[in-house]
Amino acid sequence: MSEVLSRAGDYMPVLLEGVWITIAVTVLSLLLSTVLGLFWAILGWTKIRAFQIISRTFITLIRGIPIIVQLFYIYFVMPDIGINLTAFQAGVIGMGIAYSAYQAENFRAGIEAIDRGQIEAAQSIGMSDSMIMWRVILPQAFRIALPPYGNTMIMMLKDSSLVSTITVTELTRQGQLVAASTFDNMTVFTLVALMYLVMALPLTYLARQLEKRYKKS
Amino acid sequence: MIEVSDIHKSYGQVEVIRGISFNVNPGEVVCIIGPSGSGKSTILRCLNGLETYQQGDIHIDGRRVDPEDRSIKDIRLRVSMVFQRFNLFPHRTALENVMEGPIYVMGIDPHEARERATNYLEKVGLADKLDSYPANLSGGQQQRVAIARALAMQPEAILFDEPTSALDPELVGDVLEVMRQLADEGMTMVVVTHEMGFAREVADRVLFLEGGVIVEQGPAKDVLSNPQEARTQSFLRRVLRPLV
Ligand SMILES: Nc1ncnc2c1ncn2[C@@H]1O[C@H](COP(=O)(O)OP(=O)(O)OP(=O)(O)O)[C@@H](O)[C@H]1O
Ligand SMILES: [Mg+2]
Repeated sequence: MSEVLSRAGDYMPVLLEGVWITIAVTVLSLLLSTVLGLFWAILGWTKIRAFQIISRTFITLIRGIPIIVQLFYIYFVMPDIGINLTAFQAGVIGMGIAYSAYQAENFRAGIEAIDRGQIEAAQSIGMSDSMIMWRVILPQAFRIALPPYGNTMIMMLKDSSLVSTITVTELTRQGQLVAASTFDNMTVFTLVALMYLVMALPLTYLARQLEKRYKKS
Repeated sequence: MIEVSDIHKSYGQVEVIRGISFNVNPGEVVCIIGPSGSGKSTILRCLNGLETYQQGDIHIDGRRVDPEDRSIKDIRLRVSMVFQRFNLFPHRTALENVMEGPIYVMGIDPHEARERATNYLEKVGLADKLDSYPANLSGGQQQRVAIARALAMQPEAILFDEPTSALDPELVGDVLEVMRQLADEGMTMVVVTHEMGFAREVADRVLFLEGGVIVEQGPAKDVLSNPQEARTQSFLRRVLRPLV
């Protein structure tokens, strides 16, 4: 037993390096997906037909393609058209774009939940469309979108492991590398699993709190 | 002040406004009555550009109402609206609801806007509810906040679409009282209502709508007490019967 623990101790520093990359990928792609998702949702909300079509097409496209394939596309195909990204950049951008489709759906649901009457009231006091968006719709849409947003964070944390397939040395990939050189699959992947769990637990708690708080009102 | 001439409006194939004309002079109170589906809300909503119309003209102070044009903002600053379902912003307090337009649309200094909003909320009898959220106000209180919100824009006219229809009977009086006071102060008002008592006492003129046309119009007393058209007579018999 103590032997297992001491081996685990040996692997820790390398795996922790992976943890930081995992956190970085998750946080950055979460931000990107949020901004992009909001953008698609607002684009779809405008009365301009062309914008609506662009938004809907993009979302349908992204949701229909596996995330791994999207990552491969960005990392392996983009260089052919002159866009060279590091694995880390490609990972963040790929995850951000892939998840923006889900974020957009989430925000869209929030936006559509706002009663038409409020929008008319805002119009009737002379507010412009963009002001209605920022002052009336979004503050309420965010509240509605928050509980599912908590779950999206957990999904993104776990799915960040997908960027290991394009050589980003985050937690899963570090685990693979350590396991491959030590043949100690049992210890390494148990550690990896535990580390994901430790990262996910606070998020799970947060998601549950959000759900409780905003389901009531 | 408000000139409506020969308005037509269709939803798809169905023409719901079929040639309506009327004027509202400054300081006048005009009540619009009529059966459900007669087009009362629709014509009212056309007046401040919440609905488009296909034919005819609406002018406010000489400017044509065109919902697609930039000028609509200016028209909405002159003509405010109060809705049947209040339509307050639920994430903002009573005070914030009223301050919203002055600050963000008119660009008034926030301190001044707060003072203005407080004054109007006092005016509608809600001095003690400034910081309440709509969810914690009764329907009658919410509607009075909505009236304060409209007043804070210091409009030349206010449009009311059945302002008391969503209220419990015991709350109707407070709202009508505020409206009566506004009328006394000379506010120009167009009121869609089923409150015949209010129309009789407060309105200068009454329009009776049915099937998208004005069937009868005239001084409130004439139309309500001595209607000339058979359709007006039968409508008034229907709505007044529960009272007698
Ligand atoms: N968005 C819409 N799409 C299609 N038809 C509509 C729409 N809004 C209103 N109508 C129709 O237009 C007609 C007039 O409606 P309007 O709401 O103006 O009536 P109203 O006189 O205000 O009735 P109520 O007393 O019930 O409020 C009705 O027949 C209604 O069904
Ligand atoms: Mg109506």
